[in-house]
Amino acid sequence: MLTKLALRNVFRNRRRSAITLLVIVFGAVGLILFGGYKAITFHSLRESTIRNRLGHLQIYKAGFERAEARKPLEYGLEDVAQLRRAIQNDKRVRMTTAQITLMGLVSNGDKSETFIATGVEPKEDKAMNAQRLVAGTDLPNNESDAIIIGRGLAASMHAKPGDYLTLMSTTTSGSLNAIDVRVAGVFMSGVKEYDDRAVKMPLAGAQQLLQTTKVERLLVMLNDTDDTAAVRASLTSLFAKNRWALEMKDWSQLATFYHQVVALYNGIFGFIGMVVFAIVIFSVANTIVMSIFERTREIGTMMAIGTTRASVWRMFLAEGLMIGVIGGVAGLLCGAGISSLINRVHIMLPPPPGYTQGYPLRVMLQPGILVTAFLIAVITSTLSSILPALKASRLKIVDALGHI
Amino acid sequence: MKRLIAISFLFVAMSLHADDKAAAVLARSDVFRNPIESFSVDVELTSFATGGKTDTSRFRVYGKSSDRSVVEFTFPQTEKGKYLLMLRDAMWIYLPSASRPIRISPLQRLMGQASNGDVARTSFTVDYNATAVAEDGDAFVIDLVAKDPSVAYNRVRLWIDKQSYEPRRADFYVVSGKLIKRATYKAYGTMAGRRVVTEIEIDDLLRPGNRTVMRYANLTPKENAEKMFTKDALGKW
Amino acid sequence: MHQPPLIRLLDVTRTYPLGRVNVRALTGVSLDVDHGDFLALAGPSGSGKTTLLNLIGCIDKPDSGRIVIDGVDVTPVPLHRLASTRLHTLGFIFQTFNLIPVLTAYENVEYPLLLQHVPAAARRKRVLEWLEQVGLSDQARQRPDQLSGGQRQRVAIARAMAGQPKLVLADEPTANLDSVTAAKILDLLETLNAGTGCTFIFATHDPALMSRARRCVRMHDGAIVNEPLLEARAS
Repeated sequence: MLTKLALRNVFRNRRRSAITLLVIVFGAVGLILFGGYKAITFHSLRESTIRNRLGHLQIYKAGFERAEARKPLEYGLEDVAQLRRAIQNDKRVRMTTAQITLMGLVSNGDKSETFIATGVEPKEDKAMNAQRLVAGTDLPNNESDAIIIGRGLAASMHAKPGDYLTLMSTTTSGSLNAIDVRVAGVFMSGVKEYDDRAVKMPLAGAQQLLQTTKVERLLVMLNDTDDTAAVRASLTSLFAKNRWALEMKDWSQLATFYHQVVALYNGIFGFIGMVVFAIVIFSVANTIVMSIFERTREIGTMMAIGTTRASVWRMFLAEGLMIGVIGGVAGLLCGAGISSLINRVHIMLPPPPGYTQGYPLRVMLQPGILVTAFLIAVITSTLSSILPALKASRLKIVDALGHI
Repeated sequence: MKRLIAISFLFVAMSLHADDKAAAVLARSDVFRNPIESFSVDVELTSFATGGKTDTSRFRVYGKSSDRSVVEFTFPQTEKGKYLLMLRDAMWIYLPSASRPIRISPLQRLMGQASNGDVARTSFTVDYNATAVAEDGDAFVIDLVAKDPSVAYNRVRLWIDKQSYEPRRADFYVVSGKLIKRATYKAYGTMAGRRVVTEIEIDDLLRPGNRTVMRYANLTPKENAEKMFTKDALGKW
Repeated sequence: MHQPPLIRLLDVTRTYPLGRVNVRALTGVSLDVDHGDFLALAGPSGSGKTTLLNLIGCIDKPDSGRIVIDGVDVTPVPLHRLASTRLHTLGFIFQTFNLIPVLTAYENVEYPLLLQHVPAAARRKRVLEWLEQVGLSDQARQRPDQLSGGQRQRVAIARAMAGQPKLVLADEPTANLDSVTAAKILDLLETLNAGTGCTFIFATHDPALMSRARRCVRMHDGAIVNEPLLEARAS
C-alpha cells in the first residue's frame, strides 16, 4: 500500500514531478559524464606517465635514495645482465631498460650551459615514445656519441641536427671528462623548463663520459598496469632469495604530477557532487513541502481515521525515495546513453601542452560511477524528504482538517 | 740475436733513465710555481671573453702544501667579504649574507674561475707520473698521467725550458683525450727571494677566444695553521 | 437493560486562541451517549458542536473535564497515542467527503482495513460487501474525481463502517449535497444504525437531519441548552 500510495502521489502533479525528476536526471548525468571524463583522463595520464617515462617499476641499488652520493653512481647498479634476465623471465614483464641520469656543462664553442642528461638504451627508449621530435631523427641504435636535445637547449646553443657540441662532466672517480657529440635531433616534451636543459644520450655514451660500466637504475615495463603490485611482490622475494641488495619503487611512488592531477580532478568532482547534492536536496524538499501543503487536509483525514504519525512520516519518506529511484534510474540511462553518444561522435578537443594535434573527447563508463550517481540521487532525495515528512506527521489533526 | 738483446737493454736503460730524468725535471720545474709550503699571495685575475668583454677581480690567497687554500675576495667592492676554501676533494664558499658556508659541487667548480685556480696550482710532482720525455726546440716536453683517477685532469703535456727548467706551457687533457685548457707561463719575477711565475694565461679551449690572465704579487711565507683550512674556520673570517 | 454509556463527557471545557482573543468553545459540558444512539448535536455555527464532536472523536483535547470512551478514560492520553482508538472504535464522515484522491473507491474503503491488518481474503470480502451496502459495487474501480458528491459520501460511509467501529462521527454530512441526495444519505445512515447497532453522532444545522435524529442535543454558545433525556434521567 505504501509503495502504491507513494508511486501514485509522485505522479499526482505531473508537471512538478517532471521538473524535479529532470533536476535529478541532470545532476546524475553531470556526475556520470564528469566522472567518466575524469576516469579516462586518469587512465590516459597514468598510462602515458608509465609507458613514456617512468616504467611500472624502478630498481636501484639499496641505499640509493637515502645516500648523498658524493660522486656520480656511487650507488649505481653493477652487472645488471643477470638481474635483467631474471626479471624478464616473468611473463608479465614486457621489457626492462637501464638508465643513467647525469648533469654537466654543454658547450658549443662559444658558451656553456648546464645540461641534465638521461642515458638510455636507444631501442628501448624509442619503444617508450618519450618525446616528440621537432627536428632531425631519434637516437640512432649504434652510435654512442649522438644525442638529442630539448628545444630550449637547442635554441640557447644555436644548435641544429648535424651540429657538434661538447658535453663536460665529472667521472665516477671525480676526474673531469669531456666528449664531442653530434646533435641527431631536437625534441619537445611540453615542459619548457625541462626542454631548456634536457639531453638524451645513448647509455654507452653516458657511461663513457662517466668512465663507468654501472647504470643508475633499471626500468621495468609490464604488459598490464594492474599487475604492478603482484610483480613488485614477486620481485621483492626474488631479490631476497638471491640476496641482491636492491631497492624498488613503483610508478605510483614516482608519479607526483599524476597524483596532483588526480587530486585536483577529484577535488573538482567532489565540489560538483556537493553542488548536485545541494540542488537535488532543495528541489526534492521543495516538491515534497508543496505536496504536503496541498495535501494537508488529506493528512488530517488519514490521521483522524487512525493512521499513526510514524506511518505518515514513512509515506512521505517513501515518496522522496521513489522520486530518487525513478530519477536515479532515468539519470543512469541518460548518462549511459549520452556517454556512448559522445564516444561515438568523436568531438575533438584542443591539443594539450606540447602537442600539435587534438584528441577526441572520450568518457569512460564505469559501473562505479553509475552506482555512485544512482546512490547520490536516491540518498539525497530521501534525505531531503525527512524533515518535511516529520513536520507532516506532527500536524495537528483539527487544524489540518480545517485547512483549505 | 745478441745484437737485438743488447739494443733492447739499451732502450730499457734509456727509458728508465728517461723516467728518472723526467721526475727530476718535473721537480725542478714545479718549484717555480709552488715555491713555498705555507704562504700568502695576492692574485689579480682578468678574464677576457670573445667580444672583448673583460672582468677583473683581486684576491688574497692563503695556501698550504699544494692542495689547501683559502681565497679572500678583495676586489671588486661587491665581492669583498667572500671567502673560498679550496681543498682537494671539496670546495666551500662563504658569503657574508649567509649564516654558514655553502658547499660547491665538482660541476660548479668546473664552471667558474675556481677551475682556473685549480689549474694554476696543480702540483705535477704530487699528482702525476711522467711517462715520456721528448725534446721540442729549446724545451723538454713531458707527458704526465694522473696518479689517481680522482685527479681532475687525466693527462698533461708540459713544456719546460731546457736551460732554466722554467715551465713554459701546460696542456691539460681529460679522460677522453680531449684538450680542455692550456696554461702559458708568461712572466717570471722575484718574490720572497725566489724566482717564481708571476703571470699565467689560461685558455679555455672549449670556448676559443675565452682566456684568463692571473698575475701574482706579494708572495709571503706565512705560518698558516692546519685548522685554518676547515669549513668552520671559514665562517670566522 | 442498562449498559453503561458508550461515551461519557463530564464537565468538559475547551478554549482556543483566535488571534489575540480566547474563544471559549465549550463551557462545562456534560453528556452521555448510549450504545446504538442516533444523536444530533444541533446549533448555529459557533455553538461548539464541531468542537464537541472533535473531542469525542479524540482529535482534540479538552482543557478540563473528563472524557470516557467505551469505559476507557482517554483524557490523560496524548492525541497521537489515540490513533488506535480512532482506528478500531471510531469512524469519521466529513462534510467535504475527504477521500484519498489517488485511490479508487475500493482502495479508499480498503484503507482502514489495511491499517487494522485485516488479512487479504477477509479484507476483500468486507470491502465488496460494504460497497454493495452503499450501492457502489459498479464504481469500485473509479477514483473520487469520477464520482458525484453523493457517491463520494457513500464511499466515505463505507470507509467509516468497514472497520466495524462502535461509533461513527459525522460533521455536517449532508451540507455539501442537494436535498434529494441528502435525503438518500440520511436513509442510508438510519438503515445502518438500525441494522448494525452502531452509534451515530452528527453535528448539524440541517433541520431535516435534526428531525430525523432520535435524540437531539441543542447547543448554544458552548453549552447544552436542552437535553430532554438528561432532564428525564435527572428527574
